[in-house]
Amino acid sequence: MSKRVLCKFFAHGACLKGEHCEFSHDWKATPNNICTFYQKGACAFGSRCRYEHVKASRAQSSGSSSSPNSRQSLAVDSLSLSHPSRTSSSGVALSPGILSELSASSSPFLPPSKPAWNGSLDDDDYSDNGDNDDDGAGVTRSTRPEDHAICSFAAAGNCPRGEKCPHIHGDICPSCGKHCLHPYRPMEREEHMKTCEEKQKQLEALKRSQEIECSVCLERVLSKPTVAERKFGILSECDHPFCVSCIRNWRSSSPTSGMDVNSALRACPICRKLSYFVIPSVIWYNTKEEKQEIIDSYKSRLRSIDCKHFDFGNGNCPFGTSCFYKHTVKPGSYVWKFHRPPPRRPPPRRYDIVPMDVIFHMFEHLEEWDDYILEDLENEDLNPLERELLMQMGFDTSDSSEDEIDLWPVSY
Amino acid sequence: MQASRARLFKEYKEVQREKVADPDIQLVCDDSNIFKWTALIKGPSETPFEGGVFQLAFAVPEQYPLQPPQVRFLTKIFHPNVHFKTGEICLDILKNAWSPAWTLQSVCRAIIALMAHPEPDSPLNCDSGNLLRSGDLRGYYSMARMYTKLAAMPKKG
Repeated sequence: MSKRVLCKFFAHGACLKGEHCEFSHDWKATPNNICTFYQKGACAFGSRCRYEHVKASRAQSSGSSSSPNSRQSLAVDSLSLSHPSRTSSSGVALSPGILSELSASSSPFLPPSKPAWNGSLDDDDYSDNGDNDDDGAGVTRSTRPEDHAICSFAAAGNCPRGEKCPHIHGDICPSCGKHCLHPYRPMEREEHMKTCEEKQKQLEALKRSQEIECSVCLERVLSKPTVAERKFGILSECDHPFCVSCIRNWRSSSPTSGMDVNSALRACPICRKLSYFVIPSVIWYNTKEEKQEIIDSYKSRLRSIDCKHFDFGNGNCPFGTSCFYKHTVKPGSYVWKFHRPPPRRPPPRRYDIVPMDVIFHMFEHLEEWDDYILEDLENEDLNPLERELLMQMGFDTSDSSEDEIDLWPVSY
Repeated sequence: MQASRARLFKEYKEVQREKVADPDIQLVCDDSNIFKWTALIKGPSETPFEGGVFQLAFAVPEQYPLQPPQVRFLTKIFHPNVHFKTGEICLDILKNAWSPAWTLQSVCRAIIALMAHPEPDSPLNCDSGNLLRSGDLRGYYSMARMYTKLAAMPKKG
């Protein structure tokens, strides 16, 4: 493989070919910055073109851009030759596929019609640059079959050249049904099969998830009107599906008279099994292992986020040691000094002016609440100062059952 | 508000679809207000309510389904867990054991089950409850049967 020119797709962070790309995935490699339009004689951007307007010397161009280009133009020629019955329009109709391949290999995407520099520059010299052996597939440069790349048309689904294709046609992948398994590269085969199977599995899971209805809103979870709502809320202890918004709404709703928080609100609405937390997920699971996987990945995601209540040892986290978020003790913080969490803030003196940082802290608090999954907090967890502030603002925090404004946007 | 409306609309469609499936329950939504429903339920067989058709009135709160609907009997019924005058029903799922997974249809089913299995230990109708608690099944049966005939059955002739 020619590992000389930096892959354009890699440079943008998304080369689908991965390690099998014929272009270099090494940042130290020099990118191919030669303007291909200039090579053909006319570049619409003129002096403002971001690519270099230089005459491609034989030595420079042969390995990089123009060689595959001319090979492709040859391929097109031979194609139209091999199908004499086809009109030129069929050749045009084929060109999008060719275009996509050409652009996929980051080479110029039109066969040179009127090259500015010696048109037959590369036509006869690809044997000079022997090291790009994937191009040499038809030229018998390398004899080892595993060095030949498979035909990307066939891999994409359909090769117009059929039997006459000079490239190896890959074997059919059992999961995606495409000719994309390299017959002589076992590693690549395995990797493809693995990723393909995984993809297929996920697709199937997603398909299955589409059908699942939430028992609270009775709608299909993944068909809800807004994207934010299209998420399952998985209960840790049972397997009944809900929208994450519905189940959180229910769990954070104020208990009506005589309703026990534990037996009613925190229980599954269907089987009444008690669950202490809800896991949001875009996909529904099929097996216990899949569920555990979702839970684990969710928890590990949360573990990497610093707990805002704990505040690096300066705050008092209501969830204590069972908090899902990271509790990092910063040197010099309260916990670092005294080895215990700081006391809840003292009852407020009558402030006539509420300090700005309290307001700031409060709204930060409300906002971050969104992230919390242990949502069943009582109003007592408002610190007195905040409560008073809310009271001054006209919200009644003591009984929120009739409140128009939900102070606890926990569930949204 | 919007959520409750959407959910009730879903239930409405479900009821239209299921009409044939459960002949004992007939749920009708008020023409102008989706928060008001009425239901006609048939008294379960092998009970004093057999053969009667009882009308229920549903008042659905805006927080539905996070809060239970308020249901009461419009038809007079002699049952320990139904208030004789107001028709109020004492049923845990309509109060502290409510869960948003219940639907109006399933509430009707629960009420039918309650008719068949009265709970005399938490009575709203003490006379009826006392009859049952004292073991006077015959007394309870005949009282309930009489009121069923009087109020819940089409008059003969």
